[in-house]
Amino acid sequence: MEQVLANGLYLGAQYALIALGLTLIFALMNVLNFAHGQLYVLGGFVTYTIYGQLEMPFVAALFAAAVTLALVGGLMERFLFRTVLKRSVREESTMLLAAGTAFFLDAIILLIFGEKQRGVPKIVDGVFNWDFRLIMPYDRILIGFLAIFAIAAFVLYMQYSKTGRALRALAQDRVAAQLMGVNVDRYSMIGFALGAMLAGVVGGLLVTITGVNSGIGGPISIKAFMMVMIGGAGVISGAIAGGFILGMLESVGLSVLHSYGDITYLMIFASLMVFLSIRPQGLMGKPWG
Amino acid sequence: MTRTTKIVGVGAVLAILLVGIPALINISGRWDLYYTLTSVALLSIASGGVWLTFYIGRINIGQGAYALMGGYVSAILVVKYGVSFWLTLPIAGLFCGAVSVLIGIPILRLRGVYFAMITLVLTEVARLSMLALPITNGAKGITNIPLPGAVEVFGLTLIPDFATLSNAKPAFYYLSIVLMILCFAGLYRLVNSRLGKLCRSLQQNEELASSIGVNIAYLRVVAYVISSFLGGIGGATFAAISQSVYPSSFTIADSINFMLNCFLGGLGYVFGPMLGTLVLYFGWDLLFQTGEFQLLIFSTVLIALILALPNGLLSLRFSKAGKESVGRE
Amino acid sequence: MSELLQVIGLTKRFGGLTAVNNVSFSVQEHEILSVIGPNGAGKSTLFKLIASFLRTSGGEVRFRGERISNLAPHITARKGIVRTFQETTIFKGMTVRENVVIAHHLRSKASLFGFFIESPAAARDEQEFGRSADQILEFLDLGEIKNEVASNLPQGHLRALGIAIGLSTDPTVLLLDEPFAGMNHDETRRAVEMVRSVRDRGVTLLLVEHDMSAVMKISDRIVVLNFGEKIAEGTPEEIQSNESVIEAYLGIEDESIGL
Repeated sequence: MEQVLANGLYLGAQYALIALGLTLIFALMNVLNFAHGQLYVLGGFVTYTIYGQLEMPFVAALFAAAVTLALVGGLMERFLFRTVLKRSVREESTMLLAAGTAFFLDAIILLIFGEKQRGVPKIVDGVFNWDFRLIMPYDRILIGFLAIFAIAAFVLYMQYSKTGRALRALAQDRVAAQLMGVNVDRYSMIGFALGAMLAGVVGGLLVTITGVNSGIGGPISIKAFMMVMIGGAGVISGAIAGGFILGMLESVGLSVLHSYGDITYLMIFASLMVFLSIRPQGLMGKPWG
Repeated sequence: MTRTTKIVGVGAVLAILLVGIPALINISGRWDLYYTLTSVALLSIASGGVWLTFYIGRINIGQGAYALMGGYVSAILVVKYGVSFWLTLPIAGLFCGAVSVLIGIPILRLRGVYFAMITLVLTEVARLSMLALPITNGAKGITNIPLPGAVEVFGLTLIPDFATLSNAKPAFYYLSIVLMILCFAGLYRLVNSRLGKLCRSLQQNEELASSIGVNIAYLRVVAYVISSFLGGIGGATFAAISQSVYPSSFTIADSINFMLNCFLGGLGYVFGPMLGTLVLYFGWDLLFQTGEFQLLIFSTVLIALILALPNGLLSLRFSKAGKESVGRE
Repeated sequence: MSELLQVIGLTKRFGGLTAVNNVSFSVQEHEILSVIGPNGAGKSTLFKLIASFLRTSGGEVRFRGERISNLAPHITARKGIVRTFQETTIFKGMTVRENVVIAHHLRSKASLFGFFIESPAAARDEQEFGRSADQILEFLDLGEIKNEVASNLPQGHLRALGIAIGLSTDPTVLLLDEPFAGMNHDETRRAVEMVRSVRDRGVTLLLVEHDMSAVMKISDRIVVLNFGEKIAEGTPEEIQSNESVIEAYLGIEDESIGL
């Protein structure tokens, strides 16, 4: 039982961090970023290159992943989404753009990093063992705490920094924020960069545990969508809750339904559908976003 | 457009599809094109369904679920119960329609991203169900599905047994093209009838629609059922052509592609999904020669297209004519 | 005259907040009855309850003696009680005429499938709706702009179009939500005439309105709400001299009430 809970928490922290980035972008621009998982993968590969290949310190690699992804995110907003948002008749067209961008990133990642599964050396050795009731490698514990630390930092940043306040104003009401003197274009870009950065950081963290390969972007995006939906689209607390809930469900499901394989995911997905059709705004969202 | 030019136009398109293209293929010897065009026709049927849900203002990323369901219904009936393919085709469509009533009633109340996401999840649920259900044979799928048999009425052979044909490809081409023509003729009729206007009224303002007496819940379900029916028909025919169906035959990627086809063709135009499917599929196929750069070039072109024409390919024609796009909100 | 619509002890609570509290009044056939009150008095909520856009927490609405609260909105509309919207809600992507034609939906005799195959009934409907739409557009002075796309229209025309949509459903009772809001003096005068002429067609009108002078001019009777409760009911003259009404308005905000 302790094992299951610990696994759930560890998984949930990573998931929550991914969902935070996605929900931030959604709240700001009403864009469902299909490419979010690809951003995660990119973060993983940057970390792999710098830490795994060039053998530089892990911290430097993680930092490089964050910066690279922030840059990619900023560029995506500036040159792609902004243009389409302004010119399209139906804002759903950004969905098409997001999907196109996801393909594009997939292609780039495939060309540069190849299709092999890549792993890196462990950042810390050893295994924590509490009487065989709870066994957890130290690197998992460390990564879990780093993720929780990142979540806390992000929440504090959104709450107390000037940028964070501007972003929240923008998320609440674009027009009102503009009237209040918030530079909408600039903060949309910052928000997008921040969201992409979060995805990259998780990619960088998780590459040390599970490795990374070019094909997992899509599935990661879908999981991120689900977490965001569970908590309520565009709501920060919701994304965190959604992440931990999905992490827990997976952990519990995989241990209980272990022998039935994919049934776990079928159960999770099906119950999510039922939940959403009863409560479309998720746990903490406002109705209709 | 006058009535005569319309009839001439339709006649010309039919002639090209049913006579011109097969003739060209025979002359050029590019028999592989049959398969490509057959796929395009079938995928555009499924995309046409997605387009209809867009027309009532819902972003549908769940068509893969119905295509998969249709494929399995037809395959199971043919393989396990020996039912004729020709009978399973409408059954598959109707089965998907019936399922979509049950699913649609709760989820069609949702709008925007919420609906989009739940349909995306639906695709995954369908795939996982096909893996798990006892009748679907798990990941191995159903293979060696016999080709469609003959249809005879009073000893008169209407459709020959596909297995007796020296080459079944043209036969499947005709089948798919005819289905596609029927599908889009139906959609065209629907959109240009009062029904289409009612759908547009839903797309633009559901509250007002209900206050002028439109039963919005009912109409939404009707549109969704038609959409899912088309998904089932497309999927069932696909299974017959490839003579197999697996849980991975239609996945989330396919659901997204159906949606992309509609977007690319333009959401305001009935024939948009047809054009979108053709462009996407052919573009992808043509780029096959570029090897590892296929996805890169494809996605770059896709992004460029969206940037240049955010309202779809067919918006070109309309913006030139200075007309208002139909999909405007 | 007879009692067409009865509102009996109608109540609506949102969580802890009571938006409409035990409100009763009745509407006579062919009259213009206005519901007024300060902002947040529950007027719009009352309308939504009558048109079944919200479920009631208590009480009921009767139409010709039959209970009509808590039905689906389209059912209420089919019974002849039709609501237009506060936010000049129209089908923005359609032309003016398309808006009005589609609003005839309630009168159609053909089924959805009938429309698809263009059955004789559907064809008859189509023709008749077109004719009727043109008449309504002429009646409301919208004939000249009938092929404009609705999203391009100025405010005044939008309001008229909203009323045209309402009329197209051939309503017995038309609920107009703030028909004069945001209009200048001239536009209001024209709109008042328009509302009168609608009544002269035999439609009973129920208005929610802010513009006091227009309300006083147009209404046969007035119901005043404050904090969700009915505080007065009577003819314009009676309301004008009613102490608690004046108090309610002055007490809430310094709003020009045009008395």
